[in-house]
Order: sequence, then structure tokens, then C-alpha cells
Amino acid sequence: MRKGAAFPTAWLGLVLAAIQSPALADGSKTPEDRVLFNRDVRPILSDTCFHCHGFDKTSRKAGLRLDLREEAVRETKNGVVPIVPGDPSKSAILERVFSTDPDEVMPPPKAHKDLTPVQKETLRRWVVQGAVYEPHWSYAPLVRPEPPVNFAAHPVDAFVREKLAAQRVHPSPEAPRNRLLRRLSLDLTGLPPAPEEVEAFEADNRTDAYERQVEKLLASPHFGERMAVWWLDIARFTDTVGYHGDQNQRIFPYRDYVIDAFNSNKRFDQFTVEQLAGDLLPNASSLQKVATGYNRLTMVTREGGAQPREYLAKYGAERVRAVAGAWFGSTFGCAECHDHKFDPIKTRDFYELQAFFADVKQWGSYYYGYTTEPELLGLSVHHPFPPEIQADSPYLARRREEALGALNQFFVETRARAKSDAKMQFDAWLAEARRFLRSEPSGWAQPPAEAAIYKEGKPVDGGKVPVGKDRSVQLGRTIARSEEMRVFLQPVPGRISSIRVEVVSDERTPEKRIAARKQEGMRVGVRVLSREGVERKVPVYFAEADAKELRFVNGTEVQGVAEGWKMAPVRSEPLPSAVWLLDPPVVLAEGEQMVVAFSGDPVLPIRVSVSPLAGADPLKIADASVRAALEVTARTADQETLLADTWFLSTAADPNAFSRFKQLSRELRDTHGGRAWTMVTQAVDPMTVRVLPRGNWQDESGPVVLPATPSFLPGRMESTGEKRLTRLDLARYLVSEENPITARAVMNRLWAQFFGTALSAVLDDLGSQGELPSHPELLDWLAAEFRGSGWDLKQMIRLIVTSATYRQSSSLRPELRDRDPSNRWLASQNPRRLEAEFVRDNALAIAGLLEAGEIGGPSIRPYQPAGYYEPLTIPDRDYVASLGREQWRRGVYMHWQRTFLHPMLANFDAPARDECAAQRVVSNTPQQALTLLNDPTFVEAARRFAVRLLTAPTVSTDGSRVRWAFKLAVARDPKPGEAESLQRFLESQRKQFAENPAAAAKLLRTGNAPAGPGDPVEVAAWASLCRVLLNSQEVLTRY
Amino acid sequence: MSRRTFLTQSAYGLGGLAFAALESRAASTLLPRPAGWNGALKNAHFPVRAKRIIFLCMAGGPSQFETFDFKPELNALDGKAFPESFTRGQQIAQLQGQELKARGSIAGFKKHGNAGIEVSELFPHIGGIADDLCVIRSMQTEQINHDTAHAFMNTGSIIKGRPSMGSWLLYGLGAETDELPGFVVLASKGRNGVQPVSSRQWSSGVLPSRFQGIQLQSRGDAVHYIGNPEGVCQSMQRQVVEEIQRLNGFLAEEQVDPEIATRIAQYEMAFKMQASVPSLTDFKSEPQSVLDLYGIREPGDGSFASNCLLARRLAERGVRMIQLYHRAWDHHADLVNGMKWGAEDVDKASAALISDLKQRGMLEDTLVLWGGEFGRTPMGQGTGRDHHILGFSLFLAGGGVKAGTTYGATDELGYRAVENVVNVHDLHATILALMGVDHHRLNTKFQGLDVRLTGVAGNLVPGIMV
Repeated sequence: MRKGAAFPTAWLGLVLAAIQSPALADGSKTPEDRVLFNRDVRPILSDTCFHCHGFDKTSRKAGLRLDLREEAVRETKNGVVPIVPGDPSKSAILERVFSTDPDEVMPPPKAHKDLTPVQKETLRRWVVQGAVYEPHWSYAPLVRPEPPVNFAAHPVDAFVREKLAAQRVHPSPEAPRNRLLRRLSLDLTGLPPAPEEVEAFEADNRTDAYERQVEKLLASPHFGERMAVWWLDIARFTDTVGYHGDQNQRIFPYRDYVIDAFNSNKRFDQFTVEQLAGDLLPNASSLQKVATGYNRLTMVTREGGAQPREYLAKYGAERVRAVAGAWFGSTFGCAECHDHKFDPIKTRDFYELQAFFADVKQWGSYYYGYTTEPELLGLSVHHPFPPEIQADSPYLARRREEALGALNQFFVETRARAKSDAKMQFDAWLAEARRFLRSEPSGWAQPPAEAAIYKEGKPVDGGKVPVGKDRSVQLGRTIARSEEMRVFLQPVPGRISSIRVEVVSDERTPEKRIAARKQEGMRVGVRVLSREGVERKVPVYFAEADAKELRFVNGTEVQGVAEGWKMAPVRSEPLPSAVWLLDPPVVLAEGEQMVVAFSGDPVLPIRVSVSPLAGADPLKIADASVRAALEVTARTADQETLLADTWFLSTAADPNAFSRFKQLSRELRDTHGGRAWTMVTQAVDPMTVRVLPRGNWQDESGPVVLPATPSFLPGRMESTGEKRLTRLDLARYLVSEENPITARAVMNRLWAQFFGTALSAVLDDLGSQGELPSHPELLDWLAAEFRGSGWDLKQMIRLIVTSATYRQSSSLRPELRDRDPSNRWLASQNPRRLEAEFVRDNALAIAGLLEAGEIGGPSIRPYQPAGYYEPLTIPDRDYVASLGREQWRRGVYMHWQRTFLHPMLANFDAPARDECAAQRVVSNTPQQALTLLNDPTFVEAARRFAVRLLTAPTVSTDGSRVRWAFKLAVARDPKPGEAESLQRFLESQRKQFAENPAAAAKLLRTGNAPAGPGDPVEVAAWASLCRVLLNSQEVLTRY
Repeated sequence: MSRRTFLTQSAYGLGGLAFAALESRAASTLLPRPAGWNGALKNAHFPVRAKRIIFLCMAGGPSQFETFDFKPELNALDGKAFPESFTRGQQIAQLQGQELKARGSIAGFKKHGNAGIEVSELFPHIGGIADDLCVIRSMQTEQINHDTAHAFMNTGSIIKGRPSMGSWLLYGLGAETDELPGFVVLASKGRNGVQPVSSRQWSSGVLPSRFQGIQLQSRGDAVHYIGNPEGVCQSMQRQVVEEIQRLNGFLAEEQVDPEIATRIAQYEMAFKMQASVPSLTDFKSEPQSVLDLYGIREPGDGSFASNCLLARRLAERGVRMIQLYHRAWDHHADLVNGMKWGAEDVDKASAALISDLKQRGMLEDTLVLWGGEFGRTPMGQGTGRDHHILGFSLFLAGGGVKAGTTYGATDELGYRAVENVVNVHDLHATILALMGVDHHRLNTKFQGLDVRLTGVAGNLVPGIMV
């Protein structure tokens, strides 16, 4: 795995050498007065000169280029020499820069880009020193620098301390152990350490105690969840499509793939290849196809009136921005319309990169009306966004096993009852069922029927529907929205548990079949009509058909056909049928009729049957095995079981047990057989990609381009007439030895996870408008090490977090405020406010409410203010908060609605993920305060935190509980002042809630979690105290 | 170095945003910083004509032919083939590939005010204040679908992450309130023509999230999480906040972290908001005559009329930008009822808002903008009209606007703006100028670029400025 001079791990645990200060002894390195192009000059030129004197020839003025030295030192067409190295007095640009004449001075006043005296002097000194250019740091070939010697054994520290020493600044001491473990735990898993873990670490006097904690946390399955948040921003992972109606898309298995990739420490090169081109790998696995969901995370539209070509252009451009952001850490966006003004990114580069993705199967508009795309015909606003595959979902499979287990256990109990306390009922039913079978050997009866069309409860004139000799109902016309067809059945009095509808012939033309696909399908209502003419409704708890079109509600497949049975395209042999299960089964008295009311799309001739039998599977009711079991007298064990189950479901003998059965069987169905559909990339014939002049999709005058890697990076690969490069070629190039920028971009972003600020602080632009890294050699060393280690992310994280630099105290250094206001020298750690997801995870974990046991699975929906989705239509939707334990799953699983991001996420700066987001803003706002104070999620967490404190076996006094609360919340003991203050506060709250117990009871009703044991006044008072803690800056911040 | 500078340059303080960039520009054309400005701009670039803006966004794209653009020649052509000379090669939304027929206006027009401005009879109240209006009939936009057209109208770009106009103003100018959000969004909807609107439309994008628009909800809490938890009264909430502040104070004793002080300040502000939002949305102090003026049936019912009154109350309290969305104007079908119902929803209240502001002396420094994200085709689509971007109408009123005038014109069939064309960037540039800001100089660095509301375009429209 490891190649080259990869850094050995043997240094782990070494005591670091004391700081020496020899840096300035090496005077040639960076003496204060030496002007360096990349550090000092390029930022000035890039910000103020390159716009008119740079790469973009269309905006270039006076034929002058300052981005290339050979151009800058040559006489221009106007007869001046811009730069004469070593001679400022002959250099035209200096004359202009220092000019006081508004007509002469550069940059011109109207550009509003005036240079400061210091900047002007920098340019002058640079020319004096010979006007030496350097290639832009991030595009230059990656060469592994040697860590400086004599500073520290750990290479990260060696680089950092060399710089500190040059500034004559000492690093900060190591943070105390409790804080260190909290830091490490939040950084590596997004969860706080348990108090017991902190104590154990504090007591661990082995020399590698810290490294052991690192290994333990890197091995935690929560590591993948934490890192996924980092990557999902970059991959712009969301649950919704983003444009217009912002419908749901099916993609969560991709998130599971990402979590698993980090947990299994998948090589980053492989991670790259699988996401961009997993489908093109030989014998691609299902998981590798799931990974290609990455290419489908572009925002798409289903807006009527959207022009496919326009939107294909938008998607293509977004993909370039996304890939460039993720793997180049660069901004290609401007090059959609013009050559980049500041970087050598050309418009052609933009479209050549886009051309790699020209084979991704997709539609510009997923609108289903007036489409010419056969695969979109018949879809609705509710349909998912093809192409998709069905993949295994370990989470759903576990849920399925649980549900099956519970259901089996349930039937064990009901079977026992059929032999004990319910034996008489069972035997009676057995006799009844046998009697029925003798008259109806198929298990289904077709009672005499009449049928008519009704409107608003009254028969329609001439609305009688003919019924054939075979009892088939021959409607022969459509039913209007306000109408229904009622079929009146006169069965033999007795039990009816199931109703079957069979299609008896299919007379539709193919055109009608297509039309029928757009309909909701056939809907059935069941009623009992008394002799007196009074109707009573009979609910249906499930229905299923042996052939059907799938129906969806905003992307979610509707289970069964109880909400509507879409039949087309109808198979001809055998003709389809469907069965409705009554909830509960009814027993008809003499003279009572059964009314089966059809609305929607029955059109075809149908026949209705009834049966006193039911079963867990509607399609196996009264099948041969049931009938055989009823016939025989000596039953096998299996037959006993089958009959006991059939008895229970046919009679719903015990209403409570029947409710539980319905609940369990719904849970089982919701696990979808342990599988889930997910959007993937499928390759088709690539569409033509042209350079679009000024990004205008209607302009077809630009040249056609083929896939090629960016022209300004080393190792360029181009398509040829014979060989068109593919996504796989691009992915392999990104992680090749030639490409210098990907390793730098990834390491730079990774650094920010552990220090708050990246080495080059502008995370999304490593180009010339970005920032020269604070420690360029450290970044190159990390990048080279990353590549050399076999793209081993865990190893790189291990390297970073074991450094003394990482382990320093995070208290900023007041004496350095003026010299290093942003702490770029890293004389201390930086405090880091947790990201939105971890703000929530942390609070739930402290409260003991977090459901962290399971990894992966579908998105969950925490409480959300009512009506938040009101402006969201097509389709209309309501937000229903997750029930049960799903409510308290981790933030990484939160439903991500692009147009209306959950307010808690939005308030804590989570991006909408409309585009690749490499850098989250870190704001500090009143909305954050309101969220933590009043969002039910945090109020519920506080009251459960209170219950946790009040029920903890080891603490029994206010003082000891306050101490325990601090340990849980911030991994430390309270200071005397804090403890006193909180106890006073607690007393006061106790008093107020005692005076108003109703208020206490109300507070404890927030959220779904049970109120918990104990006196409500006491719990409420502690809940107030816990609200205070969960709102404190220390809880929100990783120090 | 001042503490403020330390905060702003600190990578983990205030989001690493470089305010300094806006302050180091040439001082030659700058005016002193106006009263009430406390944002990133240290000086005004132009005289401040408007201190705040109320944008009545007619979401869905109302038809100019039933509002402000009277076209007798189109009426004469009603039902006949639309001349191909106009439409050849042009972008079309839902009418793609269909036979194009002219549709005359379904409404009559009347001349109003001293200048005889033609306004559709569906909008008598707006017609009644014609002397306060500046009607632009030559608008053009670049985006023909709702989502992207809204984005373009709000942010000047269809690239995601561009800040909305209100965010720009809040960032550059600050707000004159510290108890309410400085950029507030209200939404209502009509009976048909309702299209979704994304919260992206009021996002602060690449600016820090404290500049984002805050949508006041018509159901539940007006501002998310503004209400105390059940069972917690205001006094107990105050005690909780005070205890949080005390704990944070203890932390600050041992930990040097500027965010602690910021956090303490934000909790104070949050508490102030909790106290002031209920009084904002309590309409009891408004006399019946005011409710009648706006045509409010039930104060606080989330209707456009109620939102207009709320907008005035927000303006009085120092909010910088108030944006109302009324989702009711996407009339691909049933134009007749759609325009009638839409006009019933907004005509009286829009006019009332302007009159009310005027009566209170606030119209002179409040800019009111009324219009949709695009217009509609002079060609019919079934019983309606399709989206149209080459010509549409909107109006401005108030601070610095030439009242009682019209600007620009479309061709004889209303297909394309031909005289004094105003594109969205021009509108943005002009609005900023009325607020005292040179659109070139309100910018932020993102991905190495100077991002602006107007991108690299935008020309002032002096013809509509006093």
C-alpha cells in the first residue's frame, strides 16, 4: 500500500523536542526583506492588474500581460517596457503605479482598486530584486518537502514550529486531558465522550494513552457519520431535486455508501473513481453503482415549460462547478461564459470537463406532460427521477429482521391461544369455514349483483350498469370525478373478511392504456347496507393486486392498492385481480347487502367476489394450501399453524391483538424487503457538447468539444478521433501522480476540520484569487504524504490529530492579537463551533436521547415548525415528524429539503447543498439563540437530560447532580462559582414551578419522549437548568 | 487594532468576512455615512433618497396586458395568428411547438392621474394613486421559468449562493432596528396560478447567514422559535437567558475566545426579539379605518392585505427591506378569473400601503416596488397566457422615484420592449442608487471573485429617478 518515503508511525508517543529558535540562522530561507512572488506579489497583481492585464484576452488592455514574465519584460506595442528586472526607474508599471496623475495612475480610479503605499513599495522591491516569478503554488507539480529538522519529531509540528520560531513565538501548552478527549471525540465522531471515558483517559498513565484514544475513535462507526457530513456538503447530497416544486428524490443509499467508505477507510482514489465512474468499472458491483449517485445530485427540474436543452446546459455547468470544487478546490464557474480573468482556466477547459459527463443518462426536464420522451410518459408529479437501481439497505434489512421477528412472536402467541383459551372460537370457525368451502370450493363466492352509477349519493338517471350471467359488471364508460359506481351484493348471510375484484376482459386499446396510466387508478370503498337502507362504512387495512402500476406520493412508493389500483398495462393472461382486506371483517345479517363502490378508473368489465377467509398476504387468501388444510382431518404441524393464523386474521377475534398485527405488518412492509431504490448513473451515447458563447445555450456557433482534462494542469489528457475519454479516465486522472491539485485540495479541506481554518483559508479557491497557504510546505508535505500513503484518509487524520499543534490549548493568545489576529501561525488551537448536525447530536447525546446505535438508512424528520413548507407546492406537502426512535437519530440523516432547509440546520449555517459547498460559514446569530432556547428538539433534550440526572444511580444531591451534569455536558467539573450560581437558579425555578405545577406539566409535554419518572415540578426545574447548560457557549464549541 | 477589526479578521469570528475590503476604496466620490447606516459601507456613494424598500412581488408573473400595458393593436388581432416576424427564433416556455394566436386584453383600460397613465380597470385603486407611480413598461429578464426567474430578479444571477437584494442591503447598510430582523419576507397566496417559491429567494447566499431574509410565518410562531416553550413564561425565560449569560461569563474568564462575547450579545438580541415580535404582529392598535383602507378582513390572517399593513409596521420599526410574495399570477389557464381574483387580492391593499405611507410622511424615503418575475405572452395559451421575458411591466413609487410618470414601451403588439429597455440588472443598479449605493461598490469576495448584485452589468436608469 504505502509507497515512497511515507512517514513511519514509530514516532507516535515520542516526547517532542523542546523548541529551539534557529530559524533565522537559516537566513537565506525567508528573510523579512525578501519579496516572494507567490506570497507577496501575486495577490496584488491578481486583485488589481490581471483583470485587464492577465489571461483573458478579450478584456486585455494595451496588449499588456503581467501574468507571464516573458511578456512582462518585453517591450509592448506601445513601445514601453513594463518591467525591467532590477531597475525600477525604467519599469513602466512602477511609473504608472506611483503616478499621482488620475489619467496616468494604475489601476485607474474608476476600477476602485487603489493600491496602498505598502503594496506599491512591495512591487518596487520585487522589481529591484529581479522580478522573479513563481508558478502558481497549487498548479505546480507536487514535490514532497522534507520537514525542517531541529524543531520537532512530528513532521506537522516541525513545519508549524519552524514558522513560530521565526516569529519568536512559543506554542501553547497541551490542553488538559478531559478537554483533549472532548475535542478529539467531537472532531472524530461528532459526539461527546462519556464521563467514564474521560475518567479512564485521565487515569491512563501509559505513554500512548492519547494515541489509544485516537485509534479507538477512528475505529468507531460514528467516525464515518462525522466525515460524511464533510463530504456530503461537497457532493451536494440532498433528498430533494432543488428546482421549482423541489420534489423528493430517492438517493439515501448513496449517503450510506459515503458513511461506509469512511468507516472502512476506502482509499480516496477508489472513492473518487467509484463516485464519478463506478458504473464504468468492469463488473461493477451494486455498491459501485450506488456510488455513482454522485453524478445525479445536480439540481433538476420538473417545471412545466422548462426547456430541456436549457436545463441540460444548466446541469452540465453545475457538474463542472461541482467536480472542480470537489477535486480541484477551484472555481471554474466564471469560465462558463469567458476565460477566467485571474486564473489560466479557459472557457474551453470548462466545456471539455463538462464533456466527460455527456454520457450521463438524464432529462433536461422531468416534466411528464407534453413530453416526447417515452420513459417520462405516464409519470406524474409524484414519481421518482429515473434511472434508479434497487440496492440492499443494511439498515432496512435489520429493521425487516426485527419486524419479522416481532411478527413471528406475535403469531406464536395467537397460535397458542387457538389451542387454549380460544379453542372454542377456533373450532366454531373451522366448522363455519368448512361449510363455506363445501358451497364455494374456490374459497370465493360471487353473490348476485346489481350495479348503478351514483352521484352525490343519488342514482344517476339511466345510470344502471349491466351485469352479465357470469356476474361481471360491464361498465363500458368512464366515471366522472363526482360519480361512483355502486355494486350491490347479496351474499349469503355470514362473515366477509376479504373482497376480490377480477378483471374479466381487457378491451382497451394501447392508447387507452397510456391514458389510464395517468389516472389515480381504481379506488374501492366498502359499505354494509342494512335492511332499513342505512349504510355503514367498512374500512380496509390493506389491499394488493397481482398486477399493477406502481404509485407514488412525492417519490415514496405507495404500498398495496388500497389508495388506488392502477392496472395498465394490463397483462392478458391471466387477467389481473386484487384483494381488499376488511378492517375488521364483518358478519352480515339476514337481508343486509354489501356495497362495493368504485371510483376512478374501473372502465373494464370486472367481477366482485367475497370470502370469509383472510390472510397476511392478500394474494394467497383461500389458496390451495388453506383449502387443503381445511379439508383434511389429520393436520400436519404446518397446517395447524396455517389454520390458526387464518382463523385469527379471518375473524380478528381479539381486537387489540388485531391492531398489533396491523401495526407490525405495516412496519414490515415499510422495510421494503430490506432494499431501497436509488438514483445512479447510467451511460448512454454522449450528447454533443459545444462551447456556449457567453454561456448562451441557444447559441450553437461554438466549437464542439471532446472530453479533456484542464489545460493548465500537468499531465493533460485529451480525447482523440479514435478514443473518446470517459468519466473513468477523468476519475483516474484526478487521483494520478500527474495531477498536483486534488491531494492539496483534499488535505487543505481536511485540515479545516481539525483547526477551524484551512492552511489556505479560502477553501473553495486554490487559484490565484485564493490565498497562499499559511504553511505552504506543510500543505505540500501533507498532500504528498496522502498520495504516498495510498490515499489513506485515516492515516492523514491520525497524523494531524497526534501532532502537538493539534493538542495545544485553544485559548487564544492575547499578546498575539496584533501580530497574528487570525491565529494563522497556530500558536494555539482554535475554538470551533460545532456544525449544525453536531449541535443537535451533541445535545441529544448529553440528554441520553440520541439513537446512535444504527448506522445508515432513510432520512429522518425531526420536529419542524408547522407550515414551513407552505410555499412549497407541486405537489403540496405536509411535514410529518418522525415517530419512535427515528426522531432522535443523528443529524447526518436529517431530511435535506433544498428549497426549505430545516430551520435548525439553516440557522446553524448548514448549506442548502444546491451546489458543492466546501466551506461552511460560521455565524453567531440571534436565530441560533432562539433555536437552542425554543426549538422542541432542544427543549425535549433538556427535559430528558433532567430525567437522566434525576435517575442516575450515583448522584442524589443537587450539588452532585450539577457536577454530573457538567461532566456529561462539557466533560469537566463545574467551578465553584458556576455550581453556586446554577444551584441558586435551580432553587428559584423549583419555587416557581411549585407555585405553578400546570406550567411544569406543560413543559414536560414538549416532544414525543415520555415525561419520565419523578415529580413534574422537580423534573421541570432541572429541565430549566439543563436548558441553560445546553445553551452555553461551551457546549456549542469544541475547545 | 480595534476589537472590531480583530473580530472581522479573525477566521472564526464573524465568518471570516472581510469588511475591510469595502472600506479601503478611494474616498473621492464618497458622502458621509448617513444616519441609520451601520453596515459594511462606511460612506454613501450617492444621496440617500430611500432608506428602505418594500417589494410587492407578484409571484407567478402577472400579465402586463391586464395591468399596465394597453395594446389596442393586439386587441384588434385577438384570436388571429400571431405574426411570425415577432416570434421566430425566440424562447418560449409551454407554448413550445404550438400554433401561436394573439390574445387581446380581457380587461378595459382607463387613463388615470395628471399624466393620464393607462391602468387596467381590474386595478382601480392602483389607478387611483397613479400620480404617485412610476410605471416601467419596458422590463426584460433573462429567465423564462419561475424558479430561475425569481432567482434572477432577487439576486441578479441564476448561480446558487448569490445573495438576495435584501441581504445585500442589510450587509451594506445594516438595519435601523436591533429588535427585528433587518430583512423580512411575508408570503400569501391567491386562488389560482399558485407556484412554489423557494426560501433560496431570500437567502444571504455567500454572505453570512445573519443577513438572510427572515420569513414571518402566518401559522404558529411569526418567527421560527420565537415563542417560549410551553409552560415557560417571559419572566422565567428571562431567568434562563440570564443564567446562560452568567455561565458564558464564567467561561470567558478562563478562555480567550471572542465568540463568547458575541454569543452573549446575540442572546440579548434574541430576547429582545422575543419581546418585540408579539407587539409587531398585534394589530389591536390599528383603528378600523386603517383596516378598512387596506381591505383587511381578519388582521393577521396571512392575506396579502394583512401583510401590507404588517409591511408598514415593519417599515416604521426600521426594517431595511420587506418583501411580500403573493403567489397568484401564473395564468396559463383561466386568465379571466385569475386576473380578477388576483386583482381583488392585491389592488386595494397595494394602493392603501402607498397612500398610508404617504399620509405618514414615509413615502418620501420608502421605495415601493410592485411586479412579478416576468410577464406573459401576447399570444394565448388555452384560456391563459404563457411566460414571457422580452417585455413586461412593473411600477415603483416613493423615495427618489419620478412620480406620475411612465417609462419605456413595448412594440405595438406588446411582444418586445423597444423603447428605453430596462433589464433586471439596470433595475437593481437603480434601486441601489436610490438607496445611496453605487452597485459597483457593494461587493464581497467569494471564490476569489468580487460578487455583486449586478454582476458585471447594470446601468442606472436616470429617467425614473428624480
